[in-house]
Amino acid sequence: MPNIHLTGFGLLSPELVLGAVSLLVLIMDLVWKERGSSRLGWISIAGLALSSFLLILAFDDSVGDTAFGIVVVDKFGNFFKLFTCGALAVVVAFVMGDQRERKDRIGEYYFLLLGAAMGIFFMVGTNNLLLLVLGLELLSLASYALAGFHKGEKRSAEAAMKYVVFGGFSAGVMVYGISLLYGLTGTLDLQVMAGTAEGVGLTRSLADAVMTSPSTVALAMVMILGGFAFKISVAPFHFWAPDVYEGSPTPVTTFLAVASKAAGFGALLRFLAVLFMSPDVAAAVGAYGLQVGSLIAILAAVTMTLGNLAAVRQESVKRMLAYSSVAHAGYVLVALVAMNGDGLEAAMLYLVAYYLMNLGAFGVLIYFHGQTGKETYESLNGLGRAAPLISVSAVVFLVSLTGLPPTVGFFGKLAVARAALAAQEGAYAWLVLLMLLNSVISLYYYMRVAKHLFLKDSEGQTVRPQPAMATLLAVFAALNIIFLLYAEPLVNWTSASMDLLLLGR
Amino acid sequence: MDSLLKLSESTILTWITFIPLIGMAAILCVPRQNMSLIKGIAGLATFIPLVLATMVYFGDFQTGANGYQLVQSLPWITAGEFQVNYTVGIDGLSLPLVWLTTLLMFIAVPASETVPRLSKAYYALLLMLGCGITGVFISLDYFLFYVFWEVMLLPMYFLIGIWGGPKREYAAIKFFLYTLAGSVLMLIALVAMYLDQGTFSIPEMMAIGKAGAWTGPELLGMSFTTWAFWFLFIAFAIKIPCFPFHTWLPDAHVQAPTPISVILAGILLKLGGYGLIRGCFPIVPDAFRENAYVLGVLGVISIVYGAYVALGQTDFKRMVAYSSVSHMGFVLLGMAALTEWGMNGAALQMFNHGTSSAACFLIVGVIYDRAHHRDLNAFGGVAQPMPRYWALATFGFFASLGLPGMAGVVSEAMTLVGAFQSADTRFQLLVLISCLGVVLTAAYILWALQRVFLGPLNEKYKDYPDINGREVFSLAPLLFLCLVLGIFPFYLLDWMDTSVIELMSLLNPGS
Repeated sequence: MPNIHLTGFGLLSPELVLGAVSLLVLIMDLVWKERGSSRLGWISIAGLALSSFLLILAFDDSVGDTAFGIVVVDKFGNFFKLFTCGALAVVVAFVMGDQRERKDRIGEYYFLLLGAAMGIFFMVGTNNLLLLVLGLELLSLASYALAGFHKGEKRSAEAAMKYVVFGGFSAGVMVYGISLLYGLTGTLDLQVMAGTAEGVGLTRSLADAVMTSPSTVALAMVMILGGFAFKISVAPFHFWAPDVYEGSPTPVTTFLAVASKAAGFGALLRFLAVLFMSPDVAAAVGAYGLQVGSLIAILAAVTMTLGNLAAVRQESVKRMLAYSSVAHAGYVLVALVAMNGDGLEAAMLYLVAYYLMNLGAFGVLIYFHGQTGKETYESLNGLGRAAPLISVSAVVFLVSLTGLPPTVGFFGKLAVARAALAAQEGAYAWLVLLMLLNSVISLYYYMRVAKHLFLKDSEGQTVRPQPAMATLLAVFAALNIIFLLYAEPLVNWTSASMDLLLLGR
Repeated sequence: MDSLLKLSESTILTWITFIPLIGMAAILCVPRQNMSLIKGIAGLATFIPLVLATMVYFGDFQTGANGYQLVQSLPWITAGEFQVNYTVGIDGLSLPLVWLTTLLMFIAVPASETVPRLSKAYYALLLMLGCGITGVFISLDYFLFYVFWEVMLLPMYFLIGIWGGPKREYAAIKFFLYTLAGSVLMLIALVAMYLDQGTFSIPEMMAIGKAGAWTGPELLGMSFTTWAFWFLFIAFAIKIPCFPFHTWLPDAHVQAPTPISVILAGILLKLGGYGLIRGCFPIVPDAFRENAYVLGVLGVISIVYGAYVALGQTDFKRMVAYSSVSHMGFVLLGMAALTEWGMNGAALQMFNHGTSSAACFLIVGVIYDRAHHRDLNAFGGVAQPMPRYWALATFGFFASLGLPGMAGVVSEAMTLVGAFQSADTRFQLLVLISCLGVVLTAAYILWALQRVFLGPLNEKYKDYPDINGREVFSLAPLLFLCLVLGIFPFYLLDWMDTSVIELMSLLNPGS
């Protein structure tokens, strides 16, 4: 590939494409005034595809160039940007295939989704905490509006309201934490903070700050982690998730559970990696990083256990999936306790697995909700016979979510277990055991879906065929299996994506 | 030509394993109305592996040769330092079980005729199950072993859950949860051992175990190998199942349709015993030797407790299910004794229980298909309308009881003798106690036979047709094996002996 040297706007071309397409969608919606047309959806998907194409094209050359001194273009960022494009494209496809979705105001729907994607792009593509917060807020604002998109529905309005209140509060906490860090170090740039880059003016590294005022650093860290914890729905900041997930339109729920959560993880991973994990800083703040790791271990243990125990008790499949996504956030955190490159890689691998299985699971929910109009377990009765392809795909997703072979979910769990077991001479073996026992609990409620699909008979369930959705879901199910049997590209991609982050520049 | 022959030799295990999966794919392509074609494919996809396995047994496999044979090894997942291989191969311990698997899978197809609501999905899942089970027996890579181990859970869940008895949903999820709880322990031990020594290859892990080279950290006052041993042991003990991990078994057995019970008792339980001698004991032999007596005690509790509970059952199938707990206890006792006789007996007992318990479940299935209940106390005098069935049932249950001349007695006696020879003299007491189990076994089997077949004829049963050709077809090979291996046990022992000696040298490095 030719070495394309881009600067400034050139480096930002994927973001610019997204911005342009989001505006185009909004304008074309006004121009065409067609309701129920899928043309706007295709434009959005084309925009995301173009953006992904630019990202892939620039992937090998993304070695940490900086646009406007604040946006960093590196492989790690590109990994999450590509992830976002992939997730968003599927969410748009779900909107198009969702029979429950009202097709009026569809332009705004896509506009908000693409806007949220832009927020994610900035969030994961910067070392500057200010831009990180701005990206986060852009994502959040779009998400609030999306959660309440069905403004006539009480449930949806309630979801949006709860989301705004919780989101505003936790963003405030996070910004306060960041301001403390700024006060201590005199910079908002993570690399300057870590001491791996030269700062402007009077700055000092986090290591020095830890020496002089450890309690203030600890307070700042807890507050910042709290802000991230909200975004990735980690206990005790997860209370919003079930209600918001349940109340939002299901494609939006999918977006929140997959893309938004991965974005939160992307930013969190970069934050931890730059500050604590790179070899340059390990000597100075490594020990402090390990304490952060043990805090994360506690969060992980609480999150996955609470999420799973609550999911067992749900009667609505959508709410079950909401709690299950809380539990999965806990699993990703398990990988992070290692506070090293293996942990990062495992977390990223798990997120890819999570993408494949959770998008599939939500897709199945959208499909069946569109058919039956309900989201309870009972409404699934007998659908295994009526819609065998979708139901078998559903079983693949559920098995993958449980973490059983032969699916990619198993590979993700394995990577996480491996990273956490290797950490600290096996000191986190208890956490790995807890994670795996949690996956046994999760089997119970995931299999409950399979039970209602296949084991319960129903009075003549019929299904209107939706070939496009069915094909999409079957492909996802196949990918869930293929990426275990042929996991190499996945592993190579994730390890290539994080190498540079750790080595610094 | 020579190289071609070598190639065909080394891929034969892969064919035996994956032909059922090919059959499953073929079945999925057939329209669901065409049941006779589906059954034909299922029959063929189970018959070819049986033929191939028989060819291996009497042809390709070199009796008395050391090490693993018919090995095929390919790199599978290579990612950084993470290396997983597709390595398969057999020795004298796995070959009989591979053969038994192919036989029981083949028998299960005609035995499925009477399963209610039979459909295309049933046969597809049955074949997938066969692939998973065979795969476990031939795996020489622990990662592969684990994948196959889990692959068979899902078809089993649906086979019990969709085609089972009235409490099928409960039984199916109970089976799934129990087994998964065990396998997560296996997974954690597996990953920890991989991190320690960087290999998933079972022979390499055995060599590391023999050299005592595990270097993992001590946790909570217990050594790394002890942790690994208990995690692996519990994973396999749930499958055997040994007391106190056995409670899933009666439910799964009673609710499963007859052919699935046959597979469950015939081979799935053997996975536990096989797992112990392939994936647990030789890998952490030190920890095994330290805890062998505990295992022996668990084995004896299983023998006596299983037999005692079987005595109290009124459900015919439940009784046979508890008899499995009792009989598999002998396997554990024989292994724990750490003697050559004990190990040979345990390996033989696994095979013999595979044939006799499978036969017993088929026998129960025959009467259930006619009476639609299994209440032992409601039968009586069934021998009169069904004399041939009576004869065959008596044959089968006597094999299970351990009548001299039948297979079961040889292996059970060998395990007891082996346990008596054990260097640990405490085993002598265990042998004495387990003899109580033998007496109880005779009691519950004879009492059950008496209640079903003898006594005054219940009028309801007088018009029952005798056992038919299809049922005899399924039953005959199993009863034949029970008889032949009772008289000529060396048809198996000769195959196993070398591998047992090798295994013992791994477990007892001093001797």
